[in-house]
Amino acid sequence: MTTLLYTHPACLEHDAGFGHPESPARLTAILNTLRNLSFAALEWREAPPATREQLTRIHSSTHVERILARVPKQGYSAIDGDTVLSPQSGEAALRAAGAVCAAVDALLTGEADNAFCAIRPPGHHAEPNQAMGFCLFNNVAIGAAHAHAAHGLERVAVIDFDVHHGNGTQAAFAQDPAYFYVSLHQAYIYPGTGRRDERGVDNILNIPLLAGSGSTDLRHVWGQEIEPALRAFQPQLLLVSAGFDAHYLDPLAELNFNEDDYTWLTAQILTVAADCCAGRVVSALEGGYNLPALAASVAAHVKGLLEAPRAVQRALVKEILQRRKPGNESMA
Amino acid sequence: MYEFLKYEVRDAMTVAPITIGPHTPLREVEALFERHDFNGVPVVDEEQRLLGILTKFDVLKAFSLDVAALVPHYDTLMEQPAAAVMTRDPVSVEPRLPLSRLLQKLVEMRTKSLPVVEDGRLVGIIAREDVLRALRRATLQHETPNHEDAPS
Repeated sequence: MTTLLYTHPACLEHDAGFGHPESPARLTAILNTLRNLSFAALEWREAPPATREQLTRIHSSTHVERILARVPKQGYSAIDGDTVLSPQSGEAALRAAGAVCAAVDALLTGEADNAFCAIRPPGHHAEPNQAMGFCLFNNVAIGAAHAHAAHGLERVAVIDFDVHHGNGTQAAFAQDPAYFYVSLHQAYIYPGTGRRDERGVDNILNIPLLAGSGSTDLRHVWGQEIEPALRAFQPQLLLVSAGFDAHYLDPLAELNFNEDDYTWLTAQILTVAADCCAGRVVSALEGGYNLPALAASVAAHVKGLLEAPRAVQRALVKEILQRRKPGNESMA
Repeated sequence: MYEFLKYEVRDAMTVAPITIGPHTPLREVEALFERHDFNGVPVVDEEQRLLGILTKFDVLKAFSLDVAALVPHYDTLMEQPAAAVMTRDPVSVEPRLPLSRLLQKLVEMRTKSLPVVEDGRLVGIIAREDVLRALRRATLQHETPNHEDAPS
């Protein structure tokens, strides 16, 4: 029973410029927390680079070549006002996408139960043909496509709880019923997509929340909409775009989640995964820009992943005992 | 005790207020707010015709989170011209409006000041502080304004 942690030193060297909120310090804060003794059970693995084949399942090869060609030898190269490349950005982006693919491989070959990818740059804004919003390659979408193409999965779900809508993931999957994409995000902020009426081929569930929404709203929409939709889809693998910028201390948005909400949400995701796909969850870092809040929220999330196998076992034992109760008709 | 009813906007307003042009960058407007104690500044053309009002709130609004960028581009936004963020077609008042009516308007609109316009040209600004000062004058010193052009 194992939880894997994928990361790579290059992810610490992608640098979008002085003072940029998507900073290497984010990952340093996360990794420092996960080195704590209470996470000793995590199995750390170095992320391999994604292959061209993996990248081009989501992105056009023009996009891949263009991004890698834009990587500067020194200094910076800006794709837009938000999205900036430094000399190590190409390597970091390849390792970030590669991490998710490797985690998918590890889970589907039974090496581990679940995985967290501590990676940057993030991915969910990257569209098939456009880098934007700090994102170069769509790590989670590439991982989902890998599960489909390399492992033959017919139903892969992506849950995106970053505070911004994952326009890139939606764009990648909106026409393909093999994927189900659900996004919980703040309405009327970047990137402006993610309205409820954007439904793809009935495989997109967008839940925009108004500024100020918090714990209660999260529980409400999960119970009323997200969980039933996920269970109806019966995914064979769950991927998570884990952004932690819906935290009440985050400077780039106005939702009010806290660490306990991330603990709760992680447990809900794992429960659905336990019922639908033997607990298989691959989670990948997206946003989160207040360093202490980010580190604490990731800790809550990863702690949940670590404890999940035990929770799944407990649930199984409970179910077996229930069936063996004398007089229980289901035994007949 | 009824002196206040005799006051008009022109008795209390700031005459020839500081103004800016439509091309003044937000950085200069912010510096203006820093130096002077007012909440909004009228935007006028070369002939003193009122184009808009630029308040501190309008400046803040320019830096709020929106769909255009993940992070507001603070430096670039500071170089935007006043015309890009000002409130257009602002409510204005005439100099001869009774101050009691002006007071009512400020309360109802929850606004801090209003431009005073005569014959299409900006002639003053009337703010909460001006009305408070007039109230004090009217109630403590019982000063009656001297309107030379008033019908006797």
